[in-house]
Amino acid sequence: MLELRRVSKHYSGIPAVDDVSFCARPGEVTGYLGPNGSGKSTTIKMITGLIDPTFGEILFRGKPIQDAPITYKERLGYVPEEPYLYNHLSAAEYLTMVAQLRGLPTRESSKRIDGLLRLLALYDDRHASISGYSKGMRQKVLIAAALLHNPELVVLDEPFSGLDVGSALILRSLIHELAARGKIVLFSSHELDTVERVSTRVVILHRGKLVADDSIVKLRSLTELPSLEAIFSQLAVEQDTQGAAQQIADLIHA
Amino acid sequence: MRKLFERLPLQFRVLYRQFLLRVVDLEALSIEADIPRFLGQFAGVLIMFSVIQALVLLIHPIMTPAETLSMLWHSEQLLIATIMLVTGLIAVVAWDNIFPDKRDVMVLGPLPVRPRVILLAKVAASGAVLALAVFSLNIAVGIVLPLIQGGLLRFVPNALAYWFTMTAASAFIYGSVLALQGFGALLLPRKMFLRVSGVLQFGSFIFFLGAYFLLPYLATPAALTAAEDQKLLGWSPSFWFFAMFNQLNGTLPTSLNWVAERAWIGLGVVGITAAAALLLCYLRTMKKTVEEPDLVPGVRGLHWMPRFGSLLQSAVVVFSIRSLARSKHHRVAYAFYLAIVIAIGFSALKHLLAIPAPRPPTTDYLIATFMMMSVAVIGLRSIFSLPISLRANWVLRTTQISPPERYISATRWALILLGFFPVWLCAALMSLCFRPISLSAAHLILLTLVGLILADLSLIGVSKIPFACSYLPGKTNIQYVFWFFILALSSIAIYLGRYEQRTLHDRARYLELIGILVALDLGVWAFNRVRAKSATLSFEELPVEVITTLGLNVVRPHTQMVATEEVHLS
Repeated sequence: MLELRRVSKHYSGIPAVDDVSFCARPGEVTGYLGPNGSGKSTTIKMITGLIDPTFGEILFRGKPIQDAPITYKERLGYVPEEPYLYNHLSAAEYLTMVAQLRGLPTRESSKRIDGLLRLLALYDDRHASISGYSKGMRQKVLIAAALLHNPELVVLDEPFSGLDVGSALILRSLIHELAARGKIVLFSSHELDTVERVSTRVVILHRGKLVADDSIVKLRSLTELPSLEAIFSQLAVEQDTQGAAQQIADLIHA
Repeated sequence: MRKLFERLPLQFRVLYRQFLLRVVDLEALSIEADIPRFLGQFAGVLIMFSVIQALVLLIHPIMTPAETLSMLWHSEQLLIATIMLVTGLIAVVAWDNIFPDKRDVMVLGPLPVRPRVILLAKVAASGAVLALAVFSLNIAVGIVLPLIQGGLLRFVPNALAYWFTMTAASAFIYGSVLALQGFGALLLPRKMFLRVSGVLQFGSFIFFLGAYFLLPYLATPAALTAAEDQKLLGWSPSFWFFAMFNQLNGTLPTSLNWVAERAWIGLGVVGITAAAALLLCYLRTMKKTVEEPDLVPGVRGLHWMPRFGSLLQSAVVVFSIRSLARSKHHRVAYAFYLAIVIAIGFSALKHLLAIPAPRPPTTDYLIATFMMMSVAVIGLRSIFSLPISLRANWVLRTTQISPPERYISATRWALILLGFFPVWLCAALMSLCFRPISLSAAHLILLTLVGLILADLSLIGVSKIPFACSYLPGKTNIQYVFWFFILALSSIAIYLGRYEQRTLHDRARYLELIGILVALDLGVWAFNRVRAKSATLSFEELPVEVITTLGLNVVRPHTQMVATEEVHLS
């Protein structure tokens, strides 16, 4: 289990994440939601060990991740929000490098890399430079790199970004499949429809604070709202969206 | 000047500023993204060179007219070769910014901007940098040399001839690079040109530096008219422009008029070719650039890489090789150091081949190999500090499942394989020219130890993976640190070369030297290893926070205090 206990992150004294606690359990897909600037990405960076919390602790299997970072990283697979890759490498070279850094045996890793590249429809372009890849192709490389070592904890930050319909459907099923095989899946996205379909439970963040943490069914019955979109709008959207749209149209028309 | 600039069309001015900012890639030079500062530093270095040359000309012992003429001719040849080198280096550094790239086409294509405005703005931006180079490099010597040459009476015509020649030599080199690149782009299929372009850039770099270091000076009438030198005069553009200058100020021997004519012809040919290449490229290449597919398939069958040690070592070494080969910034920086190494190597080879065989290892050869090793190892170490993509480093951080000392050891391995080993191989090949072979082998053992010491010394305090570390822009001042090290190490190389020459024939002293070097290397290696065990891999050097507290937060609002206390209590 992945557990966040009263985690806060301050930048120059200003809290970006404030006293957040929640759990992500094996076999479940935990959706992690929040508007821009709510502290979602900061939390994910803390979970992946890229930054340290100012207060609180993150536990994996009951132990703080800082206590055994190497063991934790061996079990972690991460797809970041932005597809930042080493553009001078090809997909095959990049995945080979990741496999070597993870210490995967050469024969096994090349089999997995070939398989993943084929299944993700990247095989024909595996030797082309990543600099020429579309956003969707980069996203597939990130997904392959995150799953290469069969991780226990999969953290997906906007994994559907840039994917075509077919690949998105595969990924959606894959997320279910990973959870069914006992993995912990933490999944962050702005696509509320997808989150509603994929997630077992959702955690909603607003202005750095936790505003909801429950199963979607329970949240619906608690708020008496029909969909996750409606729940999210009530909990985390302050702006009058219709009014703002009208104002923009008025502004450019003037 | 400013008012004149403001009269130019707005589109031209905007694009000119943009292109000027991109003439030199600042990231490759480890400097703040501040073009006036960079250009200021660049001009400063050239002005310093100019002032030193002017002082050399002014402060000299009393000479005969023939000696004075020889000194002036030597200076003229040096200055022309230098302006050609500087222009060549500018052209190489700005290689990918001379013609419109995909970014230009995609950004400017949908905007109502005529291609000729883009073309003129690019040419003007390049011209501005070249003008700065010519002006800075000659600011002092461009006054002193014409003054010494013709006195006050002939100062004005001599100075005009001087400045015209320098500008022409610079334009000739820049135009040659433009023509080479332009016709390459026009004649070759786009995909092939993109591949060849990197090789051409690398080759040009080595060519310019090699020519500068290897070309001899012909500074006497006898040398200039010697039959064996006529071929060199006919093929070397720096002598063409030397002849042009002397023709313009009336001091050229009539027998060398043909050399000056080559400068005029060359200038005309290059001018027309470069202009044609530019025009054709802007008319044809811009279209080709848009049509160019985003996804260029990789070359088939060239993906195999040998394994370099453990999986982690292999990952770091292969990543380093690919970064050096494929990133233009790193390629240019690597070519710079490699060109110096090659120039030293060629120079040593030229001298040793002049000695009849069988020859014992010469002191020049010993010193040259030590210097090559110093430049290669320290140069590569400085390139390791240039990050390739800071934002992509997250993958190294999230996959860091080995202790830091293994990463640091992999970095050392990469430095040895890519910096130390090529020089050692060159030295081994050169050593085949010497007899007895046992002396060459003794030198190679010594060179191995010196290389390893240099590699270990350059990794003191390093907890980084090559090309994956960041630096605070402007903080590292690598350009100064590198030259300081090179000067210091050159002095040590000269001393060590001379000392080794004496020890090669004295077994006891040789063994003593080997013992000292082994002890030194083991000491530095052990020190690095112990430190690495407690090190933390660093990827980003964060600047000191700009928000500073004034210590006034002692009294906090009541609510915040309560909240904080709750956190502590829990």
